[in-house]
Amino acid sequence: MIRKTNQIRTLDELPKSLPTVSIDVPEKVYVTLMEMRTKTYTLSVAEGDQVKIGQIIGERDGGYFKQPIFSTVSGTVGKVVKKFTYSSKKTECLEIINDFKEEYAPRVKERADSEISKLTKEQIVEIVKENGVKGLGGGGFPAYIKLNTNDPIDVIILNGVECEPYLSADYQVIMKDSFEIFKGLEYVMQAMGTKRAIIGVKETKEKLLQKLIEVKEEHFKDLNVEIVGVGNYYPQGWEIELIKNTTGINVKPGTLLSEYGIVEFNVTTAQAIYQAVKYNKPVIDRYFTVTGDAISKPCEMTVRVGTPIPNIIEAAGGYGIEGDKVLILGGPMMGSNLLMDDAITSITVTSILVFKPEEHIEEPCVRCASCVYSCPAGLQPVQIMSAAKLKDGDAAKALNVMNCIECGLCSYVCTSKIHLTEFMRKAKKLVK
Amino acid sequence: MASKTGFIRKTSPYVRGEANVKRMMLDVLIALAPVTIFTIYKYEWTAVWIIAVAIISMVGTELVYYKLKKEPFTLKNGSALISALIYALILPDITPLWIVFLGGVFGMYFGKLVFGGLGANIFNVAGFARVFIVISFGAYLVYDLDTVAGATALGIVKEAPFNMMVLDNYPLWKLFTGVGEAGSIGELSGLLILIGGIYLFIRRSLDWRIPVSYIGTVLVLATVGALVTGADMSYPLFTILSGGILFGAIFMATDPITSPVTGPGRIYYGFGLGVITYFIRVFGALPEGVVFAILIMNMFVPALDYYKWANSKFTKRSVIVFSVVALLTIGLLIVGV
Repeated sequence: MIRKTNQIRTLDELPKSLPTVSIDVPEKVYVTLMEMRTKTYTLSVAEGDQVKIGQIIGERDGGYFKQPIFSTVSGTVGKVVKKFTYSSKKTECLEIINDFKEEYAPRVKERADSEISKLTKEQIVEIVKENGVKGLGGGGFPAYIKLNTNDPIDVIILNGVECEPYLSADYQVIMKDSFEIFKGLEYVMQAMGTKRAIIGVKETKEKLLQKLIEVKEEHFKDLNVEIVGVGNYYPQGWEIELIKNTTGINVKPGTLLSEYGIVEFNVTTAQAIYQAVKYNKPVIDRYFTVTGDAISKPCEMTVRVGTPIPNIIEAAGGYGIEGDKVLILGGPMMGSNLLMDDAITSITVTSILVFKPEEHIEEPCVRCASCVYSCPAGLQPVQIMSAAKLKDGDAAKALNVMNCIECGLCSYVCTSKIHLTEFMRKAKKLVK
Repeated sequence: MASKTGFIRKTSPYVRGEANVKRMMLDVLIALAPVTIFTIYKYEWTAVWIIAVAIISMVGTELVYYKLKKEPFTLKNGSALISALIYALILPDITPLWIVFLGGVFGMYFGKLVFGGLGANIFNVAGFARVFIVISFGAYLVYDLDTVAGATALGIVKEAPFNMMVLDNYPLWKLFTGVGEAGSIGELSGLLILIGGIYLFIRRSLDWRIPVSYIGTVLVLATVGALVTGADMSYPLFTILSGGILFGAIFMATDPITSPVTGPGRIYYGFGLGVITYFIRVFGALPEGVVFAILIMNMFVPALDYYKWANSKFTKRSVIVFSVVALLTIGLLIVGV
């Protein structure tokens, strides 16, 4: 089909709304010591030490920023082991053996509202930094860096779009913790001295819109927050797309949002900022979705950060099929693939999808240009593919492959079932 | 409960859309059906034989080629069948079958397979085969390119392109419906071709940009021509309904493999087709030039797609350049006629 596509099909046999199940806090959690943006770390605890929830146990180093590492259970520090994580690679993780006392570290304590209202920008930035708050929509970018800008900020945008099919973490956080999201937003506005904010959700999710308006009317009448419903298409959750559709501002790829007077956070990040400012508490659990046609009982749950994947699968009734499966952490369009389930969840992971493998017969490119019409970044994937095949880095660069966000639409729409996204990745390597 | 094996390696995205080549090709076949049936109704066994020989020669060539190369004949998507059918439909009814056969074999081999098969060919396969037999066996075809059968509308108009007196014999409704008219066997009924085009558009198996820009360009140029020479205003309509413009614009120019890959590029491509087609009609030695226009523009596709200037969206600069070229073209036409 020669057309612009921005709708992603979902499997009909999977339920649209999932039941919520409970999952026990595991006997052992594994805290990731390195993440996407942090390649080295130092530990401040040793094997055998007692730790509590929210206790700082080390520091990740991302070059120009550092991030504290927290224990997500109370118990005894174990060994440093290698586990598969969101990165699809084995990464070093610290094992912590749970004592099931669920005790919080002394640093986790409530701040009085009167104290909070006097906090300056620098203090809020410091609190957010100390609690390691990062982009919980999946980006993992440290939140304090966004807050610490010197550019004047006119508008704070909260992203609740969650445009990939199947995912529901943002949905759950809005339905359950809207109050905390607004509070977090209030703190951000206080820090930035910003008078205006927008919360963007899909216009098709009426319950979310209702809930947000309800909470705003009840508790935040004076806060200048617009609740905006945006179109139900993919990748509406991409910040550039969301900003265009809520403010009309066209952000050029590669520029900083703060240059346009915008700061953008995921709704869950706003909630995390609230938890950090109000309770000095880092993120220790996340709303989670487990689904797919190879899962017995697709469901939603609240998962402690660092829980091993097999525990989560078990809570969802186990694998529904024998034989080959595709295991994905994250969404069906951009998630990462795991070759073993000996893996753990980290702070930015909010879903596990397990599918029966789908085979596609790849045919020669017929140059239908659906990929060109569908690319949200305005690129020409078919031409970039040619450049990648010819190993022509200059052409790939001139075709702006570096603006590619790997949203996966080019592969999705391809008439010939060519895996264009993979060629985009190859082309990016040629440019580097 | 946890299993350690049986996980398959994939990279994102893990879901794929429903579009596929086979379905797209099937759509083209469905769209060609009304035209084909009308042709067979009109020319009876002559048309059946031409279509059969075209299919045997083209599909057969592809089959033999892949057998000899010992590569599996995986291209079961029907693309060769479509090329063959289009090739048959743009032939005059008097074409000897052995010429149909030779053209089919030659067109398929040199027009497609030597380039590397489906997706790699530069030229529209059917058009390539058609031009090959015109150049090699022109004497056998008696009537000239794209227009056939004794006194075809275009053959007569060629002598005096803007003399509408001649056209009284060719009422527009006849050209549009194809009832009682002569021409290449598949190009008679504008109505049936349009129905096919509309079906393809609804199925999104063709890109509307190419036919719209192609036919639009011809309409504008013909209107300018009519205004300058004072010809009747039905002349622009006559221009697009006679000859192979509709068929070429809907079934041949939209061949995605041989057209550019950007939206603006496809508009320019259609514009180029329109200009060349119309200029061949008015200034050229041939009465009709749809197939030549398509092959010529096929050669410009790599240039239109060149990464240093091709853009997936219109830019200020490209609009200015395009407007200047369009104005120059109209100027040239005014001076010329």
